[in-house]
Amino acid sequence: MAYTRNNAWDNNGTFQNTSLLWYAKGVGIMQTRALDDLNSWWFFAAIHGEYLNETNYPGWGSIPGPPQVPTTPLPSKSIQDSYWNQCQHQSWYFPPWHRGYLLALEAQIRAAVVSLGGPKNWALPYWNYLGPNNQYKMPPAFAQQTLPDGSPNPLFVEARYGPQNDGDIFIPIPPVSEQCQDNTLYTGSNPNTPRPGYGGPNTGFSHSGRLSGNLESNPHNQVHVDVGGQAPQGNVWGLMSDPGLAALDPIFYLHHANIDRMWAEWNAKGNSNPTASNWLNGPAAVGQREFIMPMPDCNAWVYTPAQVNSLSQLNYEYADLSSPAPTQPVAFDATTRRLTRLGLPPTVVAQGDRMDNENSLELVGTHDGTISLKSSGARVQLRLAPEVNQQVISSFAATSEGTLPDQVYLELENVRGAQDAYKLTVNVNGQTAGTVALFGLRRASMEDGQHGGQGLTFVLDVTEIIDNLHMNNALDVDSLDVRITPNNSISEDANISVGRISIYRQSYQ
Amino acid sequence: MIENARIRSRIVASVLLICIIAWTIILVNPAPLMFHAHHLVTYSGASRSSFPIILLLRQLAYLVLGWVIMLSAMMSPTLIESIQHVAERSFKRQRGRAIGLFIIGYVTVWIVTNSAILLIMLSISLLELPSHHLIIGVSIIAFLWQCSPIKQRSLNRAHNHRELAAFGLAADLDTLYFGITHGSWCISSCWALMLFPMVLPQGHVAAMATMTFLIVSERLEAPKTPTWHLRFPGKLIQISIAQTQILFSSQLLKQE
Repeated sequence: MAYTRNNAWDNNGTFQNTSLLWYAKGVGIMQTRALDDLNSWWFFAAIHGEYLNETNYPGWGSIPGPPQVPTTPLPSKSIQDSYWNQCQHQSWYFPPWHRGYLLALEAQIRAAVVSLGGPKNWALPYWNYLGPNNQYKMPPAFAQQTLPDGSPNPLFVEARYGPQNDGDIFIPIPPVSEQCQDNTLYTGSNPNTPRPGYGGPNTGFSHSGRLSGNLESNPHNQVHVDVGGQAPQGNVWGLMSDPGLAALDPIFYLHHANIDRMWAEWNAKGNSNPTASNWLNGPAAVGQREFIMPMPDCNAWVYTPAQVNSLSQLNYEYADLSSPAPTQPVAFDATTRRLTRLGLPPTVVAQGDRMDNENSLELVGTHDGTISLKSSGARVQLRLAPEVNQQVISSFAATSEGTLPDQVYLELENVRGAQDAYKLTVNVNGQTAGTVALFGLRRASMEDGQHGGQGLTFVLDVTEIIDNLHMNNALDVDSLDVRITPNNSISEDANISVGRISIYRQSYQ
Repeated sequence: MIENARIRSRIVASVLLICIIAWTIILVNPAPLMFHAHHLVTYSGASRSSFPIILLLRQLAYLVLGWVIMLSAMMSPTLIESIQHVAERSFKRQRGRAIGLFIIGYVTVWIVTNSAILLIMLSISLLELPSHHLIIGVSIIAFLWQCSPIKQRSLNRAHNHRELAAFGLAADLDTLYFGITHGSWCISSCWALMLFPMVLPQGHVAAMATMTFLIVSERLEAPKTPTWHLRFPGKLIQISIAQTQILFSSQLLKQE
């Protein structure tokens, strides 16, 4: 049977939308099961990530309910080691791991729905916050304390604070966008695809990594932080803001269904997933953990990215998945846009020169020294090495000879902290370079975490800013002015710092 | 984290070349060059005569050279990520200098530590214990260290590549300091494994090769929560098996 995932905003996102009503009832069934039951809501949340050993928040024992999250009985250590803390982030496995995770959760909910006499073809709805009209708001069914029959609503979550930390849950657009859908490369970069690529960097098993792919960075990470937010008082943040809490919130799976839909749409546009065996075969190909999910029949489903590579291999579809055939190579548009910005005719650059040259990446300048971020943000002068900056300037002159000028990236490295629920907007010389969400910051900063506490890294494509500076004859300078502004007041306990800010050039010559 | 594919491939090629050269020296000419490096107990067992021999300056030079060769053979494959970290965060014209400073810091801390261990071992040798007592003692210490949370914590810290300054003296000091701290965590995690071949009366090369396999395997593992546990670093075996399976299944698919 083929299942169709529908828009959560059908019937105005209320319980008139039967997909949502049955989802709520299915979640309710799963929540009645014990933590050590592989088919329970809590076990599934722990598959994504958990904080069961921590005493204080975000320890699961101190989460303000609802839901009332159990911390016992724990499954055996071997079960925990196989299933828990498995989510893939800052990795090229981010899209396929979550696709398998959704399929398993959907099968669990469907089994629960059928057991209650519900539709056998029930499928997980998606929340397209980038859709028209009110869809940027959370579907109202999630804010109701009770179901239509008066019983408690399992979709209602107390620790959900929103982008302004006031309980109003919506997605601010911009900065959240679907710009990543214009990318044309899964891993790597080209004029349409800033580093590290649409799907993420080539990694091994990456429960907590460093650099998010473009789909993961925006919208995924930003939506997590926008929905979760931070409690107005105290040091409690929303469940969605932290990977170790996020899958306790039922809105999580609708958000990820939308991310999965975007990936499917990206493929439908003609973009390809990796063909490298290490991607197709998953991290088990390099001797690491396999992707494994409990299914309703009590069997374990072990899967690889190759098995979830395309919707055509699977038994579901999206109601409004559009797959427009590209009328012309998107790279042409990006290159043309840049040449137009530089006041040059589109014909000046030959097609073969449009791919980037990853071997040419070179440091141009840095701000040395750790920056501690407070509510007021931070402002620093990024010092440039004159001889390297001259190469950037010279690359503009080379455009008339048939190659694109340098691509330029700003990197925020070793970003560390104790709380994830923040977004930072970065400006370079008064122009917005981008907004990044700190989803995963806490885990990435743990010294005994997967990357030894190196923190997160953010890479922003600032080529357009450099182009503008060049056009205004303002590029031949010793330094750039970089300003970092948080979206909300930063708690004293957040301890957010940026280890280094750098600027890199990447030539096409 | 912004990676340059050319830098990485050059580093991998250079490190592997150094590693191969070091192993060739060890295999082709283990004595006299390697004699003192991995041989704290003479073939006839520990004795008071070990002390004056080692203290000869010429012998000391051989000793240090032998250590550097042993370090290149056993530890260089674990340094690829760290050297890449240093190179990519340095200006192009300063990459060689930065890598050099990192290696100086790294090797220096190893030599200082090796010297301290050597003095301790020589002091123990003055007790003129039967050589098998020393081997058993070191084996027990190595086993306990392998299982300890301190070992895991050291492995975890070796994964933390700190931020580095790019300009001026600060850049030089940062890379040197990174070499020292990274070397210190490597020593803390590997010293027992590296000591073991040094106390064996024979079979050093085989023991060194086995320890190298274990050390590289451990470094391929992601950090874990430090606890007491039996550690079987078989990551290289796991990778080999998994890659062989993939190769085998792809060949089968082609035949079909």
